[in-house]
Amino acid sequence: MRNMSQLAKDIFKYGRVKDCPVYDMHGHMGSHYGIHFPTKSAEKTVKSMQAANVQKLIFSHHGSLMMRDGNSLSLKEARKFPGLLKVYCTINPNFPEVTEKDLAAFDEARHVYVGIKLLAAYHKKPITDDGYKKAWEFANKRKLFALVHTWGDNNMNGPEQIDEVARKYPDCKIFMGHSCHGEWDKAVLLANKYKNVYLELTAVPDERGPMEKFIEKAGSKKILFGTDMPWFSYHNYIGAVLGAVRKEEDLRNIFYLNAKKLLGEIGQL
Amino acid sequence: MKIKFFDANAYIGTQMLGVYKSAATAAELLEKMDEVEIEKALVYHMAQFDYSPEEGNKMLVETMAGNKRLFGCWTLLPPQTEEVIADNFFTQMKKNRIFALNLFPVHHRFLLNGVVFGEFFKELIKRKIPLVLSMREGGATWEMLYSLLKEFPNLTCILTDLSIWGVDRYTFPLLEKYEKVYLESGVLSLHEGSFEMTVKKFGAKRLVFGTGFPEKYQEASMLHLLHSNISKTDKQKIAAGNMEKLLSEVKL
Ligand SMILES: [Zn+2]
Repeated sequence: MRNMSQLAKDIFKYGRVKDCPVYDMHGHMGSHYGIHFPTKSAEKTVKSMQAANVQKLIFSHHGSLMMRDGNSLSLKEARKFPGLLKVYCTINPNFPEVTEKDLAAFDEARHVYVGIKLLAAYHKKPITDDGYKKAWEFANKRKLFALVHTWGDNNMNGPEQIDEVARKYPDCKIFMGHSCHGEWDKAVLLANKYKNVYLELTAVPDERGPMEKFIEKAGSKKILFGTDMPWFSYHNYIGAVLGAVRKEEDLRNIFYLNAKKLLGEIGQL
Repeated sequence: MKIKFFDANAYIGTQMLGVYKSAATAAELLEKMDEVEIEKALVYHMAQFDYSPEEGNKMLVETMAGNKRLFGCWTLLPPQTEEVIADNFFTQMKKNRIFALNLFPVHHRFLLNGVVFGEFFKELIKRKIPLVLSMREGGATWEMLYSLLKEFPNLTCILTDLSIWGVDRYTFPLLEKYEKVYLESGVLSLHEGSFEMTVKKFGAKRLVFGTGFPEKYQEASMLHLLHSNISKTDKQKIAAGNMEKLLSEVKL
């Protein structure tokens, strides 16, 4: 492996490097309507995490995303491995009564929950819709994370919508899941414009180029590692990052330093 | 034992929409392969897809220039139009180091069946020439593939550029029914555990390593294969052994 840092060479050789953990800031769990996933349970997920030295996975269960009132599925799985698994509380704007109930019960799970997850393109209401307002205010007041599924050329969760919520909720740490996939330049602009907005890597390695752009134009401190686990396997995605990012310092920022800092800020390290 | 890699899915040239740091020539591709320690590759030229199979096939031969680490893959069109398949086709394949053939029926506007390719596909079966079917946009559809294999169950098919949606639900029935169907590993290495399950269910002999370069990172499928939860012997088979065996059986 020419042109690779010693750290990258060691990851290639051993598959995991003790002093370079990985924090996965975007994952899921459970089975799925459109894809067969052999890795469905928390037990299997944790086994995969260990093989790649992934020390933290923050996820939302497919059941919380694809049906009404499913956040208990995430909590149940996460509680099996409290040190390793944390949860985003899914907010579906089509069921405000569920959102109200979940936010009211948030503190009961405060050692597991780290913030909220929005999947607007699937739930068919833009992230600026009133149906999300309570959740945004909640997350902003408590300075929590908001993992937002983002995609380019999209009026539910595209760059324009992120621009609006980033301005409105400056204390909320907004992770652009998939980094406005396709509209990479706009994602970079947002990460540079707002202190509270981060680029997240799930589905970004679909193509070569965007990660290199992020490093050059936004810097590695604004990039978070994520996999959509179990959609994308750890070693494939870690390999893609090693293919795109040459400097060891950048690799460490992306794999764990940025995530640890953010988790520390919300008292969840 | 160091794992040796044979990439079953890479192309030279760039898409007309552009691709980040693609390899404009065979020499550039070889340089990139050296950088990540990939020894051999089955390659086609993007012009075969985007521009014209007829011209792209020629461009491939020209840039490969007989290099022994590269194995060419030409793109087919219906034999009746004589654009690609003409007299001495197999002799020409041999002369130009072409070991496999691919086709993109949706993008190139033809049907993938016995009416179009009947006698020709019978010849491919006899000569054990692999047909590479890309599932990328413009390539084959699952319906096309299923009916093709019903008609030609002994055709050696390598499925590449698999999409993540539904992949096992589409491929497992084919692997179960047709023993000459092979999957390229690039996308299979994506779902956590899918790759291992495929090997466990159907055996390592049904997979060939591929990267999807220049669109995808070679390092991604390499790191995945190196640290997947299968035996070292199986890793070597998938990394290069299966592909080498397939190509060694080709009769030109
Ligand atoms: Zn996701």
